[in-house]
Amino acid sequence: MKNGEDMVQDGAKTIARQDVGKWVAKLMERAEVITPVAGHGGDVMYSRVSSPDDVMFDFANTLLPPKQFVLPQTDPLVRIRRDAGGFKVEPAYDERRRVLFNVRSCDARSISFLTKMHTMDLVDDVFRKRAENVTVVSLTCNIPCPLGFCTCTDSGPFLKDGYDVQLTLLPDRILVETGSEKGVALVAQGGDLMRPAAGTDVDQRKLLEEVARGSMGKETCHFASAMRRVSTGRVEEDLWVRMSDWCVECGGCNLVCPTCYCFSVKDLRDGDGWLRCRTWDSCQYAAFTMEASGHNPRERRKDRMKRRFFHKVSAQYFQRDGMVGCVGCGRCVKVCLGTTDVPAVVGAIRKGAWNG
Amino acid sequence: MDSLFLPRIARIVSVRDETPDTKTFALKLRDPGEHQRLHFRPGQFLELSVFGFGEAPFCVASSPTRPETVQTTVRRTGKLTSALHALGVGDEVGLRGPCGNCFDLEAARGKDLLFVAGGIGLPPLRSIIWNVLDERKGYGKVTILYGARTPTDLVYKDELEEWKKRSDVKFLVTVDRSEPGWEGNVGMVPILFDKTELTPDTTLAYVCGPPIMIKFVIQDLLMRGFKEESIISTLERMMQCGVGKCNHCAIGHRYVCRDGPVFNYKQIREMVE
Repeated sequence: MKNGEDMVQDGAKTIARQDVGKWVAKLMERAEVITPVAGHGGDVMYSRVSSPDDVMFDFANTLLPPKQFVLPQTDPLVRIRRDAGGFKVEPAYDERRRVLFNVRSCDARSISFLTKMHTMDLVDDVFRKRAENVTVVSLTCNIPCPLGFCTCTDSGPFLKDGYDVQLTLLPDRILVETGSEKGVALVAQGGDLMRPAAGTDVDQRKLLEEVARGSMGKETCHFASAMRRVSTGRVEEDLWVRMSDWCVECGGCNLVCPTCYCFSVKDLRDGDGWLRCRTWDSCQYAAFTMEASGHNPRERRKDRMKRRFFHKVSAQYFQRDGMVGCVGCGRCVKVCLGTTDVPAVVGAIRKGAWNG
Repeated sequence: MDSLFLPRIARIVSVRDETPDTKTFALKLRDPGEHQRLHFRPGQFLELSVFGFGEAPFCVASSPTRPETVQTTVRRTGKLTSALHALGVGDEVGLRGPCGNCFDLEAARGKDLLFVAGGIGLPPLRSIIWNVLDERKGYGKVTILYGARTPTDLVYKDELEEWKKRSDVKFLVTVDRSEPGWEGNVGMVPILFDKTELTPDTTLAYVCGPPIMIKFVIQDLLMRGFKEESIISTLERMMQCGVGKCNHCAIGHRYVCRDGPVFNYKQIREMVE
């Protein structure tokens, strides 16, 4: 993809590094501000900040994606109560105003992907109400993370759309671009702290993007040729068998994936009633397609792996969703106990060979 | 707009024992006005809640020509269906939907209709069968072939008698294993094909039952000259949300809950698992 040209907006602003805390303090007056923080053991995790000083800029990426803030692992859908008049049900909406601050490019893209998945065809109002109240401030990746391959998914290291606000660390200040009305409103809260960006700021951003694109890690993922094979079923069954031999069905790839959104629905006890909740599920688990009769159309692991990659890479889904179901964050590479992460499997499909 | 996952409250109006492990529930929405606005079509399914136990999809088993209640026939197989079986008249359940597409009755008008059901596959066909019989003049020959494991496992026993007696319906039934007192056919459903006169060129065949039965019946129908487009089935898949979001029932990029559950065999064959 051609980078740089015409991608920086006319209305871009800048803010001084030392003023960011003041801006965040203003954001905290109206919303929960959630940002990556260093946790115990050195893992970087999203957390609600209690002080603007907690905001950090020096991190590769979080261990887990910010998916939980639009699609919580256990997500209440319906409140169920019972009284003398019978059962009462009402939707369980979460309309907290939240700002996700310093979300990496890939993860910002994943949130717009999830929003599309839940609002196309029938609108998932529970998801929409939560997501409408979340504003995403993304942070471009001047230094790409070691396992990322976002250039292959067009979701980084810098974004051209799909964010509310995009920040870029320039040598002496921060460039602030807006990508939505929500973003414009958030930047406006910065008031005088925001200054119009100069031509040199824009030049610096372009240069940084070029440098970042030139310093991606070793992971690559050529979706196009794999897509042709997956979409037309031209992947040898034996290749799926051999690849799936390396899968231990832990479901880790699904759970850390910023774009995976399969779920199951359960009633959980809540006081004297119940909360009907959806919980994350994994298409790699045998019970995912187990029917009441005991019949299971995807009993074999290879069929489940095939399913996962059909959903992520097929032309059929690409046509429907407008992108592959991957943002190149590299988390599956990190967590997979075998070697069946997205780049490895896509590579094997493309080459028709698997080396384990 | 109603919330996508919000069930409406329905009351159980009647419960009928079909077999030792299968019951038919007639439901009516608690709010009479809402019940009047409840439109369901043969082939669609309901997301039924037993509060505290969860929600699961069950096919509509009654005809929209009889809108006083909506009925569903449920075999007891797990926690939720056991909890449902423990409920009685007047108890409340949650009802979402109807969901999914339906049998295309417009396309069936004037055609001969062949219904082939296996075991608990009869309920979805019962919906369209009664719809057709209640508007009998609009359709050609009606043939119903039904098979179950044993005579005990036959559902809707009094209605089977009624179909047997009707002169405008050809009805044949068979069981896999006979029981004392059974004098009818013994064998799998396809044996009934030889006992009926099939007219593949003018007939739409509706097939519903366990996967293995569907497979053999479809093979047989194709051999007997039925076109792939004329063989219609409803697919069963593990389902959760019923509204195309949770991905459990996906086959390729199709969703049984949204694009189906009704598909013709040509569509089924073109699906990529």
